[in-house]
Amino acid sequence: MQYYLIPAYATIALTLAYVALSVLFAYTNSRRAAFVTATVLLVAIGVFAAIMASSPLEITIANTLHAYPFSMFFIMAFSLLAVLVNILSYRYSTDYTAFSMLFSFIFMGMFLVSSANNLFSIMLGLEIVSIPAAFTILHSGKRHIEAAVKFFILSAISVAVLTFALALIFPYDLQMGLTYLAPNFQISSGYIIALAIIFIIAALGFEMAAFPFNLWVPDVYEGSPSNITAMLAGMNKKIAFVALIEILFVIFINYATEFSPIIVLLSILTMFFGNIVALSQANVKRMFAYSSVSQAGYIMIGLAAATQFGLEASAFQIVAHALMIIGAFAVIGWMESLNIRSVSDYTGLHGRNQFAAGSLTVLMLSMAGIPPLMGFVGKFLLFSSAIDARLVALAVLGILNSFISIYYYARVINQMYTRKNSARIAAEPYAMAVALVAILFIFALGLYPQPLISLAHNAMVSLRS
Amino acid sequence: MNILPIIIAIPAIALVLIALLKERHSKLISTASTGIVLALSIALLALSIQAGKASFSQQYSYIGSLGIGLDLNVGIIQLILLLVSSAVLFAAAMSGNTEDEKHRLSSFLVVLFQLASVGLFSSANFFIFFIFWDVGVVALFFMINTLGSANRKIASINFLIYELFASALLLLAILLIYFYTPVNSFDLSYIAAHAGLIPANIQMIIFALLFVAFMINMPLFPTHFWLPDAHTEASTQGSMLLSGVLTKYGGYGMLLLFTMFPISAQFSKYVAVLAAASAFYAVFVLMRQTDVKRIIAYSTIVEMGIIMFGISAVNNYGIYGSAYAMLSHGLAVALMFLAVGVLKHVFGERDIRVLKGTVVNARSTTYIFLVGTLAMIGFPFSATFIADILIFLGAIQAFGVYGLIPLGAIAMLGAYLYFVINKSMLSTKEASSTVGATTMGHRLGYALLLLLIFAFGTMPFLLLNLIR
Repeated sequence: MQYYLIPAYATIALTLAYVALSVLFAYTNSRRAAFVTATVLLVAIGVFAAIMASSPLEITIANTLHAYPFSMFFIMAFSLLAVLVNILSYRYSTDYTAFSMLFSFIFMGMFLVSSANNLFSIMLGLEIVSIPAAFTILHSGKRHIEAAVKFFILSAISVAVLTFALALIFPYDLQMGLTYLAPNFQISSGYIIALAIIFIIAALGFEMAAFPFNLWVPDVYEGSPSNITAMLAGMNKKIAFVALIEILFVIFINYATEFSPIIVLLSILTMFFGNIVALSQANVKRMFAYSSVSQAGYIMIGLAAATQFGLEASAFQIVAHALMIIGAFAVIGWMESLNIRSVSDYTGLHGRNQFAAGSLTVLMLSMAGIPPLMGFVGKFLLFSSAIDARLVALAVLGILNSFISIYYYARVINQMYTRKNSARIAAEPYAMAVALVAILFIFALGLYPQPLISLAHNAMVSLRS
Repeated sequence: MNILPIIIAIPAIALVLIALLKERHSKLISTASTGIVLALSIALLALSIQAGKASFSQQYSYIGSLGIGLDLNVGIIQLILLLVSSAVLFAAAMSGNTEDEKHRLSSFLVVLFQLASVGLFSSANFFIFFIFWDVGVVALFFMINTLGSANRKIASINFLIYELFASALLLLAILLIYFYTPVNSFDLSYIAAHAGLIPANIQMIIFALLFVAFMINMPLFPTHFWLPDAHTEASTQGSMLLSGVLTKYGGYGMLLLFTMFPISAQFSKYVAVLAAASAFYAVFVLMRQTDVKRIIAYSTIVEMGIIMFGISAVNNYGIYGSAYAMLSHGLAVALMFLAVGVLKHVFGERDIRVLKGTVVNARSTTYIFLVGTLAMIGFPFSATFIADILIFLGAIQAFGVYGLIPLGAIAMLGAYLYFVINKSMLSTKEASSTVGATTMGHRLGYALLLLLIFAFGTMPFLLLNLIR
């Protein structure tokens, strides 16, 4: 028995326990027990994963799960994010125990994708993530059927495309491994590899909301209740990035110069599309949906750089944006429950509830990349990595986009701080707690980003070794 | 013991205190924070005089993996700017938020801006320079947006868009500098030593990006459109800080740019023409204004044009003269904005066609305005006098007799301000009626700024002896 590997086993055991208990509590319909169990277990998973992420240890379990800093970094991040989403859902979900069960499946899927040791695990994990997600939207009431169906169909297409891509490379890599075969993985016919790469990017592009595949995003985000939107934007979207990093930068690492231009192009289009469309949105939730599309474009800058530094920057920004968007949707969901939806409804929010206006302001400034917040550090690392990889034009366009985004964030901030006499809004502990935790992390990691940068560095070193 | 980290820690602690303590303590905390930092800046000056040179530095590790440190460094130019920014901030904090009762918000923003300013002027690398730059811009955005007058919303958004465009260019420039210096570094002294090794075409790009970024902030003629509205719509405190401190960010940036990058010498003639044109343009526009606050806002562009003119001479007289001019202009313009704010507070009016005979009912403020005008146009015994002498000596050295042309802009500025005072404030045929009264805070603000203007005007050796 190797004692120093106990945290790795513990994350797996606790995840399984989390799923089992959530199913049990859904059966007995005990809300509070489900909530407390989920929170405690997710925090424990996060702590154990953080311990493993900071050490270079690794172990492969049952030839399927690979516990190494890369997987543990993302499990750590996702368990923290899951705690936040869970708190929001406890407050806003109409049938919390059912949500909790579906959410435990989603978390398990994310665990599987992060710690995948082969392509099948990734595919399976993505399915386990996306199908319960569609059900969580569907479950939230009749209004949400359209959003659920759209999300389900697009997830199905995405999985189909991914399957086809895997089928293309299957004859050349019978084990579908992510670790062993990577260095000597060679395919004689170039176009098959090109097709496989394009299909993989397209399939994951649906979930990442990269430009031509992102048309579902605003409808689904707006149509879903805000706790689910927070989950989709903060977790589901990010897991697709994790899968893409695992596939492109392990299996196809020798083709980096070939796939990099594709990602550069997608990144530029995604940033511009998200930001320019967001400029004209009247509904705040929709505006944030488009802003989150543009943020996907920023994250792709790091992948386009295709260097160690670029991947670290992307990993940092994945965590940063997930925290920001979950915090933002916590406040937006709170406002939505009071029927405050459009930018003009937000007028005078500062006078109605200082915390809501203040926290949303900080989150938006962070998304716009204003120092010393976490969003700035993420963008700074991303643009640096682009210039480091001599993609100066990409960095210029990224900075330009970051500047464009100021305008629509400033519009909302401007409205919130306009004086207008309306009824005060009562405090809402759950949404406020989530926003507060997000803001604390954003401030802490914005003022002193070194710990997360080191973890991201370890993670990416272990992925590429 | 090193003073630099304390200077930055004090506003940071004050921020937390203002957020946590009761609103009635806010103004006291902001006054204390700015006052202590002013005292410490003066202590730095005293230490420098004792040592015969200004050189303080302190390093902390920050983002180790990228070689970014939290490095602070204060030389003579930084010391000058620290002095002016902390003096203006102290005056602004003492005079308080005249227009409104939002003491917590205004004190919080003053202290946040103080943190940004002392951090920016004492930073030793471009990374934290950039961070503090943006924090300062955002603090003043909120100051205009929440505490300004009727048209503050549009003015503040305009301000934010211009300033953040500048900061986007700045970010791009510092990233380029970082990756094109031989050892990737943000460190100002390292970059200054190795800027010549950056490929010439990249140096051109960096120069262009930095020049435009600082030009927007300063501001010079074609990019000044945010300034008149922002200064006019901001609260009195906001105008003082905008004109007295924020425009100095760009001025300081220009000083860095022209002293660090050898390539900038190639452009000095064109920059000088631009700066002179900017000063003349602004003074002609100024002559059409009737709102006193707007007149002073335009006078900022005139003076910043003169400062840029001094920098573009790229010699010792020009560089240190410009730094000295930033000191003198910051103090004088803060004094004038404070006086105008009080006039508005006392008479409820700022239009020179309506504001008549203020000398009858607000004697001290009217004379303060007069003295502020004299201090701004370089009357002997005011700090601007020393600064102007240095700047024009430098300009003659660099451009010959053409270097004296911008004096015309200063003369016209003085003439119009004299006209304003004569026609409106000193005319006793009719006197505007009062709606408010001057407070002790205002008088203390006047006293502080006047004292410093006079001190640096009569004892220039305090600072100039430190130049080596």
